[in-house]
Amino acid sequence: MFGSKKAAIRDEADLSMKSAATLMPQQWTARLDDHCLDLRWSSDGAMLAAMPSLGDIVIFSPTGETLATLPGHARGNGSIAWHPSGKQLLTYGQDTEIRIYEASFIAPPRVKALEKAWAERAEWNSNGTHLAAVLGKTVVVLDAENLGVVRRIPEQRSTICDLSWNPREPKEFATVCDGGVRLWKHGRDEPTGHFDWGGASLISTWSPDGRWVVTGDQTPSVHLYDVRSKDPLHIQGYESKVKALAWQAKSEWLATGGGRMITIWPCTGKRGPRGSTPLQLTGHIGDAVALDFGPGGELLASGGRDGMVLLWMPHKTDVPAMISLQNGEITRVRWAPAAGHLAVGTGSGDIILFSLQS
Amino acid sequence: MSERTPVTVLTGFLGAGKTTLMNRVLTEQHGQRIAVIENEFGEVGIDHELVINAEEEIFEMNNGCICCTVRGDLIRILGSLMKRRDQFDRILIETTGMADPGPVVQTFFVDDDMKERLVVDAVVTLVDAKHVWLHLDNSDEVKEQIAFADVILLNKCDLVPVGELDKLEARIKSMNGMAKVHRTVNAQVPLEAVLEVGGFNLDHAMEVDPKFLEPEYPFEWGGIFEVPDGGVTFAATEAPDPSMKLVLIPVEKADDENLADAREKALRLFSHEAAEAQPGSALAADGRLYELILPGGDMAWPVSAAAGTYAVFTEHYPEELNLELTGAAGTIPSPIAAAYKPDHEHDEEVSSVGIEEAGDCDGEKLNRWISKLLQEKGTDIFRMKGVFSVKGDPNRTIFQGVHMLLDSQDGGPWGERPRKNSLVFIGRDLDREALNASFRKCLV
Repeated sequence: MFGSKKAAIRDEADLSMKSAATLMPQQWTARLDDHCLDLRWSSDGAMLAAMPSLGDIVIFSPTGETLATLPGHARGNGSIAWHPSGKQLLTYGQDTEIRIYEASFIAPPRVKALEKAWAERAEWNSNGTHLAAVLGKTVVVLDAENLGVVRRIPEQRSTICDLSWNPREPKEFATVCDGGVRLWKHGRDEPTGHFDWGGASLISTWSPDGRWVVTGDQTPSVHLYDVRSKDPLHIQGYESKVKALAWQAKSEWLATGGGRMITIWPCTGKRGPRGSTPLQLTGHIGDAVALDFGPGGELLASGGRDGMVLLWMPHKTDVPAMISLQNGEITRVRWAPAAGHLAVGTGSGDIILFSLQS
Repeated sequence: MSERTPVTVLTGFLGAGKTTLMNRVLTEQHGQRIAVIENEFGEVGIDHELVINAEEEIFEMNNGCICCTVRGDLIRILGSLMKRRDQFDRILIETTGMADPGPVVQTFFVDDDMKERLVVDAVVTLVDAKHVWLHLDNSDEVKEQIAFADVILLNKCDLVPVGELDKLEARIKSMNGMAKVHRTVNAQVPLEAVLEVGGFNLDHAMEVDPKFLEPEYPFEWGGIFEVPDGGVTFAATEAPDPSMKLVLIPVEKADDENLADAREKALRLFSHEAAEAQPGSALAADGRLYELILPGGDMAWPVSAAAGTYAVFTEHYPEELNLELTGAAGTIPSPIAAAYKPDHEHDEEVSSVGIEEAGDCDGEKLNRWISKLLQEKGTDIFRMKGVFSVKGDPNRTIFQGVHMLLDSQDGGPWGERPRKNSLVFIGRDLDREALNASFRKCLV
């Protein structure tokens, strides 16, 4: 039943793809060793880092040349992150090694080995002076210059699921673990903010303007915490767990995905999304698990477990253009900072680059 | 839904033998790629296997519902594992000795991603046959591990006399009549008995252990003896209790049918007043109920019986007293014997209730009954499974559940089979009579 419906939609999709292909044609494809976990553009858009779940991390040029192949982390990769300057790349994984490469990728990386623990997330702060890595139930903050440990937060009750730096305050970051969100600042041993709601949150992101910390939860819901007012907002009614969060660059809109519908919340004004009506986008026939707003803020790309890559202009129309239809799930969609490149990663490890024609 | 990877959950109190079994799974040639999630810090990559350490982390939900409680560590680790192209044939999860299996199992019922890609094959519980008695009465964890199990390995059997094992197995079956029990030494059991169980497969929900649905008896053992000329004597050397009831009933011959007939007679006779029988006093083989007085030491009771065939029913297993029937030629064997589910072995908290009723249910009444039951008792019901015969439906309805989470599907046509309803509940403080009575109201 499901198969026949999908087949019918594929037929329709083939038709719409013909027009989408002229809108955003495919430029090149490449293959990673395994499931694509993440894609990250350098700040100047000159390099795309692609990370599989296991195996080598590959650096591509926008034209598809392989610029470097970096050894993956034993027991699984976790994070890749470009320094804000675009001149260094951080990689982190389950071997609990932090590796910092100069962007020329000629010299071996600087390496900081941490003790054994669950190790997936590591990020630079907004000005690149520090980086933070989740290490089981704690977070280790390192000086970017010498990789010395600057601080280690007190061990939490459970493993920390996610971490994000405040884009406007380089000394502040948020952690997500069992019970909710904690805010941490340099020089303070205890959290400066505590948002506990009694349930479990799994992923988080900080709005570009530094106002909101938002989480996707184990239950089908998201939490928005207004950092200034410490005012929590719990949004329920999703059909499944929220697995993707994406902010528009001006922090006006938050896109959330996880089920087939993509929901976009307005986050402006004193009340933010409270009392507002969201935009609801339907087009995927499988869970939408990858979202990214384009740098101009008008375009939204989405990828789903149905293999579709859809392009939306949510404030003009709720009809998407289909950019691509893959056989396997889409795991990441990532806009380049400029030039209209959209990088797409899949569960089978394919990397595909599309470019806007106008 | 694509084919889901089976998950085996291994539970058992500290020292029960989980690690021994785990090591066997990791080292035996079984041809499967198995990812093992264990609770101690382990090395990664043993031959073709992958060992990942995990620390129990309970995700409680803000509605407080225990059925929504899941294991955060499993969601994180399995989520990561599923993002690998090189998939595993099977996942084995070792829990700590104190772990509640509920949240582990519920993780695969409640979490969208887990439900889509993984399926629980079985909960396998190891029981230390020598030491479990120390915990059976006062450890909620041990009770719940037994209650949740599809397979129970009664391990370290070499350290316990057979009579004690029989008693332990009977006790365990009174708590969980659904589980398959294996007696093992060093957790030696064919791996397919623990790795390919299908305990959470709805097709298996129909396989209700018939013994579990048997009535309970006031005796644990019954057997038939051929009594020769020249007289016989019951001899015992152990006295675990001050007394024990026994009855002798003449039967026509030593076969299952005669034993079953005698069992029903014995059931009635055990409700009579018993005559005290001190050692040395004679026992008549005519259906009189005796209470053997057990002062200890060498004890004997001559039997007044003509040569012939007799059934004997004893309150406890004969091994517990070293009880034997002896004649001039020595010990007389019992060619036909059976163990019975005793009615005095009830666990006050955790028990199994089986319901078997012929005929059809009214669909609406059945829905109301099960909804009300799960609302009121869902917290106390660990596992349930079975088959319904719904009026007007030519097919069987099979169901399976954990706490308040229920899964049901069409079980195919009844065909020539007699239509009936078979249900099993395992839970805490279950009222057998009330459950049976309330279910009967659903019948047409």
